[in-house]
Amino acid sequence: MPRARAAFAAVARVADLRGPPWLWAVSLPVAALFAVPVIYLVARNVTEGSETLAILFSRRTAEPLLNTLTLALAVSAASALTGTLLAWLTMRTDLPLRGFWRILCPLPLVLPSFVAAAALLAAFSPGGLVEEVLRPLGLDAPARIRGFWGSFLVLTAVCYPYVYLPAAARLGGLPPALEEASRLLGRGGLATFRRVVWPQTRGAVQAGALLVFLYVVSDFGVVQLLGYPTLSTSIFANRLFDAPLSFALGLILAVAALAVAGVERTAARRSLAGLAPAGTRGRRLALGPWKAPAALAVLVAVGAGLIAPVTVLAWWAFRGLAGEGGGLDPGALGGPARNTVLVAVITAAATVAAVLPLANLTGRHGGRAAGALHAVVAGSFAVPGLLIALAVVFLTLRAPGLGFLYQSLPLLIFACAVHFGVQALRGAEVGVATVDRRLEEAARTLGAGRLRRLLRVELPLMAPALAAGGGLVLLSTMKELPATLLASPVGFETLATRIWNANADGFLADVGLAGLVLVAVSGALTWLLVIRNSEHLR
Amino acid sequence: MVGVLADTGAGAASRGDLVVEGLCFGYDETPVLEDVSIAVPAGTVATLLGPSGCGKTTLLRLIAGLERPRRGAVYAGGEALSTPRRVRPPEKRRVGMVFQEGALFPHLNVAANVAFGLPRAGRAGAVAEALALVGLAGLEERAPASLSGGQRQRVALARALAPGPDALLLDEPFASLDPSLRVDLRAEVSALLQRLAITTVFVTHDQENAFVMGTQVIVMREGRVLQSAPPDELYDRPANPWVASFVGEANLVAGRSDGEGAETIAGRVPLARPAPAACEVLLRPEHLVLDRGGPWRIERTEFYGHDTRYQLRDEDGRALTVRAAGAPRHRDGDRASVRYLGPPTVAFEAS
Repeated sequence: MPRARAAFAAVARVADLRGPPWLWAVSLPVAALFAVPVIYLVARNVTEGSETLAILFSRRTAEPLLNTLTLALAVSAASALTGTLLAWLTMRTDLPLRGFWRILCPLPLVLPSFVAAAALLAAFSPGGLVEEVLRPLGLDAPARIRGFWGSFLVLTAVCYPYVYLPAAARLGGLPPALEEASRLLGRGGLATFRRVVWPQTRGAVQAGALLVFLYVVSDFGVVQLLGYPTLSTSIFANRLFDAPLSFALGLILAVAALAVAGVERTAARRSLAGLAPAGTRGRRLALGPWKAPAALAVLVAVGAGLIAPVTVLAWWAFRGLAGEGGGLDPGALGGPARNTVLVAVITAAATVAAVLPLANLTGRHGGRAAGALHAVVAGSFAVPGLLIALAVVFLTLRAPGLGFLYQSLPLLIFACAVHFGVQALRGAEVGVATVDRRLEEAARTLGAGRLRRLLRVELPLMAPALAAGGGLVLLSTMKELPATLLASPVGFETLATRIWNANADGFLADVGLAGLVLVAVSGALTWLLVIRNSEHLR
Repeated sequence: MVGVLADTGAGAASRGDLVVEGLCFGYDETPVLEDVSIAVPAGTVATLLGPSGCGKTTLLRLIAGLERPRRGAVYAGGEALSTPRRVRPPEKRRVGMVFQEGALFPHLNVAANVAFGLPRAGRAGAVAEALALVGLAGLEERAPASLSGGQRQRVALARALAPGPDALLLDEPFASLDPSLRVDLRAEVSALLQRLAITTVFVTHDQENAFVMGTQVIVMREGRVLQSAPPDELYDRPANPWVASFVGEANLVAGRSDGEGAETIAGRVPLARPAPAACEVLLRPEHLVLDRGGPWRIERTEFYGHDTRYQLRDEDGRALTVRAAGAPRHRDGDRASVRYLGPPTVAFEAS
């Protein structure tokens, strides 16, 4: 034993492993599991000798790759603009009903993007709301908005809250003394915004825009529904008949996502220095004659991202329940709803349990090795869910002895846990940080052993943070479409796949009702976990 | 009946002395503690006094078992808590500890905090007893966050005392309290510890706390014990010049010793122990008396209310500090002479 201890100490010093050996013994296998999909993705490309480079420069790749990047950049830029503008209007001006808008502005988060896309299609379909409204006016329904512009509109409408939330928190907390100092030093309003307010807000906007970029790059539902060919639709389409092509495209997609995430992290770390600590509410600008246009702009944004899609879903659900178009059996939703909750709850609980030892290392002991563990888990979040599901499905199909997992519930849960693990990890790290070292020591001097300390001191103290992290995993898993499509067992329907299949079959009433249920559940969770706790509402 | 409270007095003898022998901690190149040995007689309070970073808190944590020593042993009541062969974990030591900020479990109410270290049987009675002891009866249901700083430390003390530990460790428990509260609570805790006759080690960087609380004061510096003595002995007969200045204001003046006494600029001074002929003599400022006219010039006068402090300088540039009770009776610039009027003092080898 002493020799083993000495050996560990030597390794630990070189690799900067901090913390007890047993914790590392538990954490390393967990981290390895998180790395499985990406490693498999790379390995497949290498072993198949699939001509990744050749594919990269082929025409078959060029178009979807270009489309993916164009869409992602366009949506990120539009979301950054919309999110920042709304944040500024609701936090720093005398916009009427500010408190109300502050709650409504982040709400499009509750809408899974593919549901919003389905709603857009449903609105313009024959018998849809648009036709119903226009017909009495003697007008024909316009052609459906599809392709790039359709995808762009839908994704921007549901993604801007990723920018809005951090930007609003930042703008709301900016100490007024900064701007007052700038004004006293002779700078006008515009110069003050450009030289003082914007540099302090930029980091928050960038971080939000990165999330939007990653979201769009990994999006599958919207572009598939609206017929805009991107990398993810190509990967999905080719997965069965041209797997090597799928894997090569997947690798390109993963590399692009990880590279962008890495660049942003580095930039964010640098720009974090020199930020003023949050203070009281900042100065508020009088909008004057711009009040009405400003209010209209906010209404349009929230309307596009939330009110319009929900109205369309409700319209179809109402028509279905009223017995039109073959009738709708709400009871048939019971199964998918139960399955959705089942998968999401198990995934959330399993993820929190899995990341707890990691959080202990990263949150309490630190060091480069622990930082690497965090990066592995965070990296899986940047990699699109489609790819993670693709990798684990093929892995169970090919690897000897894993066949029993192929398209099984545990596999689906594993894919979601890996993809959303970082949300639980962040929560658990916060939780670990809230447990003061001395409380543990106090418990020891009072005679409490390891188990009693865990159950009576550490877990109760960490519970709120763990619940918040697990709740985010729960929410994400519910809204996840491609992984659910690829990895779930045959005949296993969740709300997400139900909406997807009903839309494909043209059962718009089904889409409407299942969509409403999903939005209601995810809305409740989002409110509890994200919006209620957001700094901008304090 | 559970707890220390049941066997007040009678149990003291059986609990036995707390002994630390040759404790070393830290790496060889950067030792935190070096060969530290202390002995706290059963039922008494020892205070560990030293500047921050001297290793006093580390020593406390080693006694509690929260750190692992490199060498040395710890015994309590004749039982080995820590030997080079076996280090008993803190939860098996029966050593209570009160942390600097209390370290109360924020998710548990006062009663549950105090009950944490108690067996299920007889819990309620023991909790009530412990809280009554620290004067907090009736606050059982309160959350730690709703308590004042002083109340929090009382709860922490009750929590540490409730299981009836063999020894009690206090890590600067009054440091975060405001001064007037500190004095009251200190007196109360001191009386309580005496009444319970529990073997206690109390860490502080404040000389006043150390003297008021301790039957014995242990002065530490840079990981070593410099002196261990009752407060009056420590003050009047410090082991070396550093201790002399650390436990109180000190004039160290050149002198010539003849065994019984020493000749200094303040005249002849009686010595408590022999000293080398060429020596440095300790003159406490309050043992010096100021008379009008003489070789000293008063440079600066500071009035503190209960006494006045004079800073003197002579023609050769030597400095001297004198304290006298009451309001200033001299003004800056006055000439004065100095006399020694105190107990036998000590002298150290001239540096």
